[in-house]
Amino acid sequence: MTKTHYHAIGKKTVRKDGLAKVTGQEIYTSDLFLPRMLHGRVLRSPYPHARVKKIDTRSAEALGAVCITFKEVPDITYAERIVTIPQKTFKDRHVLTDHPRHVGEAVAAVAAETAELAEKALGLIRVEYERLPALFDAVEAMKPESIALYETIFFGQEELRVSNNVAATREIIEGDIEKGFLESEIIVEEEFRTGRVYHAQMETKSVVCQPEADGGITVWTTTQTIHNVRQLLGEIFKIPLNKVNVKKISVGGAFGSSIQMNSVVPIGVALALKARRPVKIVLTREEDMVDHCKYPSYIRLKLGAKKDGKLMAGHMRVIVDIGAHNTQAYPLLGCMAGWWVSLYRLPHLKFEGKAVYTNKVPACAMQGFGNPQVTFAVESLMEILAEILGMDSIDLRLKNYVGLGETFWGQGPTVRSIIQSCGVEEMLLKGAELSGWKERKKTLEGTIRRGLGMARGFHTSGAGAPMPGEVIDYSGSIVKINEDGSVDFMTALMDLGGGTLDALAKIVAEELKVPLEKVGISSVDTRTTVYDVCTHATRGIYCGGGALHKVTAQAKSKLLEFASRILQAPPHALKIEIDEEAGQGMIYVEGVPGKRISVGEVAKTAQINNWGTIAAVDSLRQVNCPPTFNAQFIEVEVNTETGVIRPVRAVLCSDAGQVINPDLAEGQLYGGLYRGLGYALLEDTDYDKETGELKNRGLFTDFKMLTAEEIPRLEDIQTYFTHTREPTGPFGAKGIGEAALNPTAAAVVNAIYDAIGIRFTKIPVTPEMVLKALNEKRNQG
Amino acid sequence: MKKQIALTVNGVKRELLVNPQDLLLNVLREQLGLTGAKYGCGIGECGSCTVLLDGEPILSCMTLAVAVNGSEVTTIEGLLGSDGSLHPIQESFLEHGAVQCGFCTPGMILMAKNLLDKNPHPSEEEIREHIRGNLCRCTGYTQIVQAIKEVSLTRKA
Ligand code: FES
Ligand code: FES
Repeated sequence: MTKTHYHAIGKKTVRKDGLAKVTGQEIYTSDLFLPRMLHGRVLRSPYPHARVKKIDTRSAEALGAVCITFKEVPDITYAERIVTIPQKTFKDRHVLTDHPRHVGEAVAAVAAETAELAEKALGLIRVEYERLPALFDAVEAMKPESIALYETIFFGQEELRVSNNVAATREIIEGDIEKGFLESEIIVEEEFRTGRVYHAQMETKSVVCQPEADGGITVWTTTQTIHNVRQLLGEIFKIPLNKVNVKKISVGGAFGSSIQMNSVVPIGVALALKARRPVKIVLTREEDMVDHCKYPSYIRLKLGAKKDGKLMAGHMRVIVDIGAHNTQAYPLLGCMAGWWVSLYRLPHLKFEGKAVYTNKVPACAMQGFGNPQVTFAVESLMEILAEILGMDSIDLRLKNYVGLGETFWGQGPTVRSIIQSCGVEEMLLKGAELSGWKERKKTLEGTIRRGLGMARGFHTSGAGAPMPGEVIDYSGSIVKINEDGSVDFMTALMDLGGGTLDALAKIVAEELKVPLEKVGISSVDTRTTVYDVCTHATRGIYCGGGALHKVTAQAKSKLLEFASRILQAPPHALKIEIDEEAGQGMIYVEGVPGKRISVGEVAKTAQINNWGTIAAVDSLRQVNCPPTFNAQFIEVEVNTETGVIRPVRAVLCSDAGQVINPDLAEGQLYGGLYRGLGYALLEDTDYDKETGELKNRGLFTDFKMLTAEEIPRLEDIQTYFTHTREPTGPFGAKGIGEAALNPTAAAVVNAIYDAIGIRFTKIPVTPEMVLKALNEKRNQG
Repeated sequence: MKKQIALTVNGVKRELLVNPQDLLLNVLREQLGLTGAKYGCGIGECGSCTVLLDGEPILSCMTLAVAVNGSEVTTIEGLLGSDGSLHPIQESFLEHGAVQCGFCTPGMILMAKNLLDKNPHPSEEEIREHIRGNLCRCTGYTQIVQAIKEVSLTRKA
């Protein structure tokens, strides 16, 4: 690593929102109470597939409640997720529907003076449903005799027929796989399945909407993108965008679940507009659980290799059961292809993906957008291949990984860029050393058996690329230097908990050489910020931070220009450094004593002389999306009597380029590990095929997650950051967040194999599965 | 029929008019504006609504306000010293990166306070056992456990 002398970047500091968060002062949507505010509730279909024949709200209205049904909301088909360009966006959503396609889909809503009254009113709405046959299996749904869940949907502006309930398909071919497999000396093939996980963000989705006197609306909501919420609300309710103001407010976890405008948002708006009073809706946990989930997957993967381990060809077939709505499965499939081909070099490859409608809770992005699913399959099959080849699997990976100077698909086939920083080798070697990979020994005896497994992965840092592609990706910021040398910056980028905005504050502090305490993160809304697409795709630091870095540099040149007038030296002769004692950035002419002035004095002088405010505003689209690589080594204990698997040790390696917030970056690795372990061992949502309801009934008791007791102890988790710098990133940084979970499931399953010699290709691996497999193995002798 | 109850909330005596079915969580949040206690599930499964009742943690989403008439309630807002200084647990959470989205944080800190009040030097196992009912989806608990452990280590034996 080149030696750097940063005063803010890479320093451990207390997060700026920390004080409010530890004292209970941080305000989330559900904490807002406005004068004359009504409480809203949503009436949801009890059936997985039905038609509303009649709906009668009179008794509810007689109670004084404001009611809306599908008849009273704008008749518009919209797409809730608009990070894809409009002409490639699928639309099938309505604010309220008379054709619910999953248990929990909204058909009506009420608002009343109190939550109790709203609840009572909800119970008084009479609905007559005609039940329709429902589909709970993607393969079943694709059969021609199955009922069509949609006749048509919209693709861009065009009406599109849906056949066999297939919401999106994607086929991607490079090279000639037949030739590739013919030239292969060893071929491995396996089927993999991953669960339908619930995000379980601790704050349930919420909205507060205040109608304004001028016909506009002000909205606070759980979202990862205030600007896309604004644009969608403007489109649905035909309100000019300058009168739709979405306020940025703290979010109690998202993990991808709020990339789309949440379905409760336009419902809250419709209620508020009808009531002409503010309305608040906070989903109950039970409602939240029928609102969203992670994409489950079926993946059939075939790989061909030479005897020396060189991969020759690959064929991946994917079926994704997306549930009742298409939250943009087309880009999902493209991304899944991209994650796959960017892990290992495949001269010949074919990807075939299908996304299929069923009558389940609509699936959406969750940490990794298809990447954990794909990485689970690939990193399991690489281990299988290595064993057949008689090679150490790390050597097999080193031989084939896509690295420095090679092309990487950051967000599907249309978002390609060249890798310019890569810590893969460093991580594999260091991780092996730290975890004792080479010394691990097989003891396939005893009740408690230990095994060590590893897997690698990566995620993109955003969706930037030289060419525009199908995904919108740019950010913008405003930077303003105050008259005392402090700085404000305004961005629509969100901090979903990871410390993204602290990283951004450090970028400003570093560029302007002002103390970090002097950089303020402004509270903003869609009126006071320029567009930022969304805080997703691990793009916060690299794309959002990159844009802010650019804007800060512009403010800096204005600062230097003003300073040059004062110091009587040309701007390019000026240098800037931090003076910790003065608590100021200092501008000086090198080697000329006395030519020195603080940032604050420059700003003040500019004000007194009427030169103007030192500020800048601009946008930036990154033309790369560097992979943030990682590798995980996980040790598990398998109890062969109970089938219980305990993760007992983990070495978490990350190549995030220059780390900006060391402790918060570690937090991303720990959190990713935690959710990844749950993904591998516990989390899933099953359906009752009769009623179409979730078997967990929307309860945490039955949607099991790991607790503080079930994860490795403090001394048994190690983190390691590579010594890399991303030349295209702000101060050498790339993303980190989503990558932290991508390899976990494969590492766990590889560890289980190491412990008991049984390979699981379906996750979560439950104790029942372990016992059953152990029994089968015993019976086979 | 509303009932009058008396509570000492964060050291301040309050007389409140509540409905018999009103939950303590809603009374704290809506009547007293103490929104630090959060709704995460409403049925005792997540711990986000944890407050201390006469020093003991309770789930305020499962507690009727009338049932705690006469008690002392401590919420996260009541943890600051009289001079506005942070409680050592709050400081330790900040120092160890134990806060991400922050939604679980108030409940988690109050659980930690309860543990350390009873057992100033808990083992790591005891810490994990004590907070197992408080869900945190962000952190993976590692830095939370670290933060709690650190307070116990820096305290004099
Ligand atoms: S809100 Fe009380 S335990 Fe979840
Ligand atoms: S910090 Fe987000 S739930 Fe704990």
